[in-house]
Amino acid sequence: MKMLARLAIVVGLALAPAVARADIKALTDAARKEGEITWYVAHYTSEGAEDLGRGFTEISGVKVNVVRTTAQVAYQRLLQDIKNNQTICDVFSSTDVGHYVRLKAQGRFEKYVPEAESKIVPAFRNVDPDGFYHATSAGLVLLTYNSSKVKAEDAPKNWTDLLDIKWKGKVSTGHPGFSGYVGTWVLTMKKLYGWSFFDKLEKNKPQIGRSINDTVTALNAGERQVAAGADGSTLFSAARGNPLAISYPADGSVLIIAPSAIMKGTKHPNAAKLFMEYLYSVEAAKINAKHFGIPLRPEVPAPPGAKPISEVKTVRPTVAEIDKGIPEVIEQWRDTFGN
Amino acid sequence: MAVTAPTIDMVPARPSRAGTFDSTWLLWIAIIGVLLFLVVSPFVYLVLTSFQTEGTGAFTLSNYTTAYGRSRYVDALVNSLKLGAAAAALAGVFAVPLAWAVARTDMPGRGLTRILVLATFITPPYTGAVAWILLAGPNAGWLNRFYMLVTGAEAGPLNIYSFTGLVVVIALYSFPYIFIFTTAALELVSSEMEDAANILGAGPWRTMRRVTLPLALPAILGGLIICFLEAIALFGSPAMIAIPARFNVVTTQLFQFFGNPVRVEVAAAYAMPLLGVTILLILAQRLITRRKGFVALTGKGGERRPILLGRWRWAMFGYAMFVATLAVFLPYVFLVQAAFAKAWGRGFDLDNISLKNFNFVLFEHGTAAKSVINSFLYAGASATIAVFLTLGVAYIVTRRLVPFGGILGFLCVAPFVIPGVVLAIGFYAAYAPPPLALYGTALILILAFTTRFLPIGYVNASAAMRSLNPEMEEAVRVLGGSRLTALRRVVTPLLRRSLLGAWLLIFIPATRELSAAIFLYGPNTKVASVMIFDMSEEGNFEYLAALALILQVLTLPLLWLGQKALGRDFMLRRTAT
Repeated sequence: MKMLARLAIVVGLALAPAVARADIKALTDAARKEGEITWYVAHYTSEGAEDLGRGFTEISGVKVNVVRTTAQVAYQRLLQDIKNNQTICDVFSSTDVGHYVRLKAQGRFEKYVPEAESKIVPAFRNVDPDGFYHATSAGLVLLTYNSSKVKAEDAPKNWTDLLDIKWKGKVSTGHPGFSGYVGTWVLTMKKLYGWSFFDKLEKNKPQIGRSINDTVTALNAGERQVAAGADGSTLFSAARGNPLAISYPADGSVLIIAPSAIMKGTKHPNAAKLFMEYLYSVEAAKINAKHFGIPLRPEVPAPPGAKPISEVKTVRPTVAEIDKGIPEVIEQWRDTFGN
Repeated sequence: MAVTAPTIDMVPARPSRAGTFDSTWLLWIAIIGVLLFLVVSPFVYLVLTSFQTEGTGAFTLSNYTTAYGRSRYVDALVNSLKLGAAAAALAGVFAVPLAWAVARTDMPGRGLTRILVLATFITPPYTGAVAWILLAGPNAGWLNRFYMLVTGAEAGPLNIYSFTGLVVVIALYSFPYIFIFTTAALELVSSEMEDAANILGAGPWRTMRRVTLPLALPAILGGLIICFLEAIALFGSPAMIAIPARFNVVTTQLFQFFGNPVRVEVAAAYAMPLLGVTILLILAQRLITRRKGFVALTGKGGERRPILLGRWRWAMFGYAMFVATLAVFLPYVFLVQAAFAKAWGRGFDLDNISLKNFNFVLFEHGTAAKSVINSFLYAGASATIAVFLTLGVAYIVTRRLVPFGGILGFLCVAPFVIPGVVLAIGFYAAYAPPPLALYGTALILILAFTTRFLPIGYVNASAAMRSLNPEMEEAVRVLGGSRLTALRRVVTPLLRRSLLGAWLLIFIPATRELSAAIFLYGPNTKVASVMIFDMSEEGNFEYLAALALILQVLTLPLLWLGQKALGRDFMLRRTAT
């Protein structure tokens, strides 16, 4: 009996991946017949997105039309597609979780839970309990600085260090009205320290760009010395030899989890499903790490210069808080900073 | 084009005169049809949208109250108008002396100046803005650092993140419009008129003030108006400079209306007053030119001698080089440095030099190289369509071939006042869905570019037409030729130079058009400007600079060809005298 049970487990263990593999095989065949997918994507950099698209084509033979824009433009484009009754986008990857809340409520998504979701880092699993959208990219908003002007020991260690008078005229940020990353950061700071955090920050006259990646430009130029920046684009630029460094704030790096979903009525359902599987694969995680994104698979080491995500203290607003809170903080931001 | 088919119904049936029916009419109707398609239909959609409730489409005025209900939104509109006026005025200060010196005087380095102005013209404004952030950033700007080094001061005097900074950057990259219009006009002014002034006792300065410049005034005004409209419709430079400077302009405000939640209806309402401003400006320009109605270009072609400036010629040259330094030399030093740098933040070290960025952009990047090819193809198609279309319209309008022709002229100018973002939405809504289903096609970009740059074509074509004495066509008509023959055999050859100029004037900005393209490009139709803008948001200035340089270098042979053609034409006319 014991023997039999053990055998069952062994057989089960041996068969389970085989079953999954067979499903993936069938999916791949069906996907290949569909030939292509169109991917509206705001995650990653342009290069990262292109690289991921190419990686999928190499593995599956399915062509990826990468339409890489900022989150709001991608959303805008998608809404217009819907208005025109056109299904162009197969997989939608925005950095603003609010988009998913609204689109899901309108019934715009095709439900699909990727097989491989069980294999990613647990923190990123099950973002949507109903399984319509899934975290496929993650990044941190943390403290960044120009390492040729600021010594590591002088660099800010907490978010509140940015309010120190010694950084007057030396702080750089993005704009929540443009960037989903910045919006989430502002929301988190408001939650941690109240809006007075930004009233005080305004006294230090920060330079406000658009994208969170504008802070990279401002620090590289030496125009500003410290910033609330993103881990990926800062480390990517640092790896190219620019004088940049990151500092994990003790009060918590803001974790941004950006989802992807399959659009309802997609003309390439199998290719889209296979693509969702691919986004959770080790190959995709490696490409992501190459572009200094946080790898979703535990097997893939963190990119050079970054701590493994498991060792970072992170803070994150809930999906509901983001959906409701970001429009509010954008208005507050404009009242405080002038535009 | 197939789209003109419905308008054929408008042809009055004249069976009795079928034998003598002037086939020219068909062409006119076709042109009017295309114009309706390109301008009226997206425009009508925009106007309708501004009165619609989101979702239901019911009539409402609330979009207007929302659009102007907050002082922040009204401030942005006022800022744009101030920005447009200041940038156009400053551009005039840059452009008019240079145009006069190049076209009419013996200033040394006239060819060089012309080349440098063209180099300015082909520099995308957002690329110039990035370069100027590096030059005049309050802390790190190279000019400020140099000033601090020399004077030992604590801080530099320049701050790009200001209203003035934005005005300077926009003026620097839009003054070529005025320059090109003004030189073209000044080159048509024959020396005989100046000689007449001289004989009557006027000195060279007085002659310039009282004879030469007034003759060029319509062109200067045309250029100033284009500059003004360009300045208020720009998105790239304000996004990079005005946002850190903490003020809004109309385009950045419109971007906010397109943000989350998307309020296209409010945006449409918000764009409407700009249209009123354009109408006023165009009316003003027409009033001025009409009052001084004159025909400066005749078939005879007077002699054109340069005005001798004496020792002032070097002062003039100095001014030309000063403008060129601001617009070309300084910005390009940093563009080239970044394009060849491993990391631009590290400055001018020898071990910082690399070709890696070019290699990446050309060969490794999935879409960058293709985006450049797309830009050139679409821009070429758009420029060709726009030039012939506007020539037709200008001909109809100046020769008063149809009643209310002035409206057609207005339609050609109207697109400039619609910021590219809004125009793109109008286009998208009108033509992306079936029956035309142009979404994601190259055609929708080409048509949008054509529409967007119709004003340049039209201002050029209409100025050229107005300076063309109708006697010459009348001669053709008297001799039994049709209007089409006159247009083909007389007007087009006489205006060949203007047409080629207009083609280049449309082609070049079309290769860098950003604000419409960013909404209309599809998976396979990404253009270089969108690529560059993506890179700018990501802070990849090395790639951006490499791609921008590739774009510039590819534009140069075309410029050279154009200049060669223009030059030869010019020589022929001179020797014929």
